[in-house]
Amino acid sequence: MMKKLTLAMAIATLSTATIAKEEAEVMHWWTSGGESAAIKVLADSYEAKGGKWKDSAVAGGSNARSAAINRMIGGSPPTAALFNTSQQYRELIAEGMLNNIDKVALANNWDDILPQPTLNAIKVDGHFYAAPVNIHMPGWFWYSKKAFEKSGIEKEPQTAQELFAALDKLKAAGYIPLALGGQEWQENLLFATVLSNIGGKQIYMDVLGKRDEKTLNSEAFRNVVDTFLKLKPYVDAGSPGRNWNDTTSLVINNKAGIQVMGDWAKGEFTQANKVADIDYGCFPGLGDDSLYIVGGDVFVFPKTDDKQQVAAQQNLVKSMLSPATQIAFNNLKGSIPVRTDIDVSAMDVCAQKGAAILRVAERQIPDGSMLMEEYRYGTLKDAITEVWNGQNMTTDQAVTILAHSLRD
Amino acid sequence: MEWLRVRRHIQRNMLAYIAVIPMALTVFIAYMGTMFWSVRLSLTSSRILPKYDFVGFAQYERLFETSRWVTSLENLVIIAFLFLIICFVLGFLLSVFIDQKIKAESFFRTVFLFPYAMSFIVTGLVWQWIFNPQLGIQSTMRNLGWETFTFDWIVNPNMVLYTVVIAAVWQGSGLVMALLLAGLRGIDEDLWKATKIDGIPTWRVYLSIILPMLRPMIITTVVLLSISIIKMYDVVVAMTMGGPGIASEVPAKFIMDNLFERGNIGIATAASTVLLTTVLCLIAPFIYSNYIKKSR
Amino acid sequence: MTTLTSTLNAKTRINQHRSVKTRWGRVGIYGFLIITALFFLLPLYVMLTTSFKELDDIRSSSIFSLPQSFSFDAWSIAWSSACTGLECNGLQVGFWNSVKILIPSVFISVMLGAINGYALSFWKIKGANILFACLLLGAFIPYQVFIYPLIRVYADIGIYGTLSGVVLSHVIFGMPIMTLLFRNYYSGLPQELFNAARIDGAGFFKVFFFIIFPMSVPIVIVAVIMQVTNIWNDFLIGLVFAGNDNLPMTVQLNNIVNTTTGERAYNVNMAATILTSLVPLVIYVASGRWFVRGIASGAVKG
Repeated sequence: MMKKLTLAMAIATLSTATIAKEEAEVMHWWTSGGESAAIKVLADSYEAKGGKWKDSAVAGGSNARSAAINRMIGGSPPTAALFNTSQQYRELIAEGMLNNIDKVALANNWDDILPQPTLNAIKVDGHFYAAPVNIHMPGWFWYSKKAFEKSGIEKEPQTAQELFAALDKLKAAGYIPLALGGQEWQENLLFATVLSNIGGKQIYMDVLGKRDEKTLNSEAFRNVVDTFLKLKPYVDAGSPGRNWNDTTSLVINNKAGIQVMGDWAKGEFTQANKVADIDYGCFPGLGDDSLYIVGGDVFVFPKTDDKQQVAAQQNLVKSMLSPATQIAFNNLKGSIPVRTDIDVSAMDVCAQKGAAILRVAERQIPDGSMLMEEYRYGTLKDAITEVWNGQNMTTDQAVTILAHSLRD
Repeated sequence: MEWLRVRRHIQRNMLAYIAVIPMALTVFIAYMGTMFWSVRLSLTSSRILPKYDFVGFAQYERLFETSRWVTSLENLVIIAFLFLIICFVLGFLLSVFIDQKIKAESFFRTVFLFPYAMSFIVTGLVWQWIFNPQLGIQSTMRNLGWETFTFDWIVNPNMVLYTVVIAAVWQGSGLVMALLLAGLRGIDEDLWKATKIDGIPTWRVYLSIILPMLRPMIITTVVLLSISIIKMYDVVVAMTMGGPGIASEVPAKFIMDNLFERGNIGIATAASTVLLTTVLCLIAPFIYSNYIKKSR
Repeated sequence: MTTLTSTLNAKTRINQHRSVKTRWGRVGIYGFLIITALFFLLPLYVMLTTSFKELDDIRSSSIFSLPQSFSFDAWSIAWSSACTGLECNGLQVGFWNSVKILIPSVFISVMLGAINGYALSFWKIKGANILFACLLLGAFIPYQVFIYPLIRVYADIGIYGTLSGVVLSHVIFGMPIMTLLFRNYYSGLPQELFNAARIDGAGFFKVFFFIIFPMSVPIVIVAVIMQVTNIWNDFLIGLVFAGNDNLPMTVQLNNIVNTTTGERAYNVNMAATILTSLVPLVIYVASGRWFVRGIASGAVKG
């Protein structure tokens, strides 16, 4: 009898405890040091508002996404899950597996304060199903100041011509001119950068967005592919399979001149005690009106009717997008705030350059993953890596392979 | 009396039947169920979540138009051939040598087995470093003064597969050694005595007498190695990510990428059905001759 | 029985066997073993030295060089303070979960494999071989294809996200190989043993536990080695089926090691990998004393 009573009491206290504190379980794949520090900002900000953050980390984007989907299928979804905004996302919405967060989005004027590419990606049939937390730009140019100086390069290249001139100088001075990790996603990232910088907005959108046959056969696209292939001789023999961070190390240690990599590379420089504009430089593209590829991370909120969980979902969104959280979070993540209405003067030089561009709508283009389904994007990446690594690949062959991969 | 004997026979066999119920359930529910389910899905347009429409063989057509898949299959054949032979020969030699009453047997056994315990996520990376011309063997040899030494297999599309095989052999041959050693240790002592008396050289005993006696263990080994070849994934992801280009892609990686990264269940199940059918065709005669015909 | 005498003669046999060997033969054997061992140890050497290096040292030095200063930081970080998301308690978090999953999974799958193998090779069961062929074929399907249907079934019977769910999965996925292992081992054993026991009137389980199983020591060792390694190193099944409270150590390992765009602390990664593989390694070393010759003969004696 006594035992039963205490048990009942224990259960009672347990349940009151859960009622007292709204708990949000958040699944994500941010497990490395810098990423962990960044997610902690989000957690702290949520807990400061009285909730309890339950962390479920699974390394690897596809691991984490499928773990979240598995939990939804198994009937015990997390409160929120880090996700992407491509076809997978739309399919989950179509299957009715996500809650929308219109209430918070409308109350906070998302339509006005978020960049257009991000809005296009998260808004489906007029509803908001995902909360964007940052803008990642995958195609930054990072360079070693020392290597530039020793090779006699006076300023950051503004055109393709100047870029190749700089690469030649680096080569002559004995540096690895272009540091590239030869993995599919890194090669793809380089291609997207060439496409946006050489092709321009129209070509970029026609190729990746519309997959327009005419553009794919145009001289302009051929020129893009040609430039892409011309970069290959500037890459060292150790490239294939190399991780991006080992590649960044080459720039950090002044063995290589330039690396094209996303803004997350900043973390590597910071960890090696290098300072932007002193030890290394960064520029988002060639020329003063270069395009800015907008990528980024979003959270989705699995379907639930539990009032408390719904409240937890809304509160998560609110806390994630509050200005102070945005600055602190993005400083650690290497990205820039998704809101264009906040002061970024406390951030580093590179982030400030990025945030400035984010206010100019014409200079923004969406990341390839936002423009097509995963399988299609995958096929394109396969083609890019095939072209890049092909022996004796001619420009015409390359155009044919790339165009073929984008065909329906 | 006859009746009693029959009853006892049934009783005895009854227990045997009951004992294999868990196996039967596993086969019917988990294995056969999943096999049919995945074949069914390969005929649908499923992407991230299963759909049960019917699109005929469209996924298979797409599959074989994909150069990455075709390359994966070709690579699989090369890897399978080399990996099986090298792993087996090395494993057999190791087990025989370890069986020679050597000193520090336990040390050697553990050294040969330990790679099997290590996750490839990281050991694959270490192999990548070792093979990388600027980090590993090549640069070390050049620094030692051999300026023209070249060992760049991992960055060479024509050679990269061999580096994958080396790492896979490194991980797999210890298990072959352990399996065959268990087999050797199960062999009757009298045999050695007999061959001794007949004055047959040891190497001949191993080749002509022991090897045939180890047949069941060898079959086990071959099946195990084949399973690990078909499922080979981690090592490629950790070492080469399928590169340079698509030079070291393997089917399991193709299936995994499409199942998760690319949310394309239809083509992934089509690929695994192709793989399964191939295996079925290859091992059906083998299973038939070993397990069905030869029922004892 | 003749096997009894053979055990007694084992020593003599080995001595004679050995005396024929030329000295050069021995040198050759040791030479081969040592060279192979060096090849096997090379990656371990790189891992160990890397784990003792500082990150700056790793960035700037050769992978084969010794650390400039030995530092155990990476090891303690890996074990107790590496961040795996928000929690920064290192690998230790999942250790006991892994043990909880490991013990029942290994025990059940090895026993079931032994019983299956025994039933298949000594008893006449109709359709057993076809059943076995299907089981073996199933081993060629990637685990990943199973996940979706299994989740559905588990959710229906209420074991999704529980310890039983993950143990059951390990038993299911381990069954083909375990059954194969025992079936083939038993088919190499003399049938007379079994017949003799049957004539004495022993039943299914009595024969198994008193005659067959005691003779299976070498193969049980191999089976345990395989299952301990597979289950301990499993990441996917644990992640999908274990539920949040039972996540195994490998999920933490993966969280520490596996990142695409985050930074990589190689020294911690190396230490974490070696730490995670310690349990299987201990099993390998401990299994050594059971890897002795003549087990089969000895068992019959008792």
